[in-house]
Amino acid sequence: MIGILLATFSAAVVEWVEAYTIILAVALSIGWGRALGAAGAALGALAVLTGLGSFALTRIHDLAILQLVVGVFLTLFGVRWLGKAVARGAGLKKLHDEDAEFAELRARRDINEAKAAWFIAFNGMLLEGLEVWLIVVALGVQTHHTLIAAAAAIAALAAVAAAGVLIRKPLSQVPENTIKFVVGSGILSFGTFWVLESLGYAWPLGDFTLLALFVFYGLGGLALVRLYAPKAKAKVA
Amino acid sequence: MNGFIKTLFGDKNTLLVAGLSILIAAGLLRTPAHELAGLALPLCLLAGAGYLARR
Repeated sequence: MIGILLATFSAAVVEWVEAYTIILAVALSIGWGRALGAAGAALGALAVLTGLGSFALTRIHDLAILQLVVGVFLTLFGVRWLGKAVARGAGLKKLHDEDAEFAELRARRDINEAKAAWFIAFNGMLLEGLEVWLIVVALGVQTHHTLIAAAAAIAALAAVAAAGVLIRKPLSQVPENTIKFVVGSGILSFGTFWVLESLGYAWPLGDFTLLALFVFYGLGGLALVRLYAPKAKAKVA
Repeated sequence: MNGFIKTLFGDKNTLLVAGLSILIAAGLLRTPAHELAGLALPLCLLAGAGYLARR
């Protein structure tokens, strides 16, 4: 359960930080009231999606099929995050820069139009929140801890909102790539574990395999960063 | 809608990496070397993450 809490909370922090940058940029144009209204509407949509997603998955009564469905989604999500984190860690891709993102948003012409700005905030919050939704539903339903996973995501939202109220500028100090690397390894471990178990494989270490897989992906990811970093430097030079 | 689909499934390359890795592991499970599936899947996925990083 601690693994689920940590994975959900950490993934949610990364996504909410990105969403906060968008809300902040919009709030400076159309005011906090409207920007927060758009964010609230997106959160409402996400809550409905969480309910629908959980309901749909709990209709699957065959445990193996549920494990396979959830495992495949987590594998797709985890391998994507780990790949991105490796690329950014090695320098193959630019690190996600909240200050640059904020400046880019503020430079948009449509951000000063009330309706367009509202939709920028709504879409931003919804799209960033969708990844949180996926983790909450997938990890929560499979382990029967949907409410706990949702509470972790809400706690992350509260933490980011509190930091935002205090700082009132983009939260660029949050080590997004490191979190993405760790969470990607963790989510990929859950995905790998459930996919293979659903296909009838008995992991020799039982549940401890999750920890072994996490270490494997973590160390393997670091090795990939080391392998690619010189190539990225050579490319820049 | 595009954002929703991309969040659920990722792009073509992500689907390819995850799909091939699971197919290889599932194939191995049906052979006498089925115990190797537990090594093959993580190895394929890690290699896949490396491939995605370079794309």
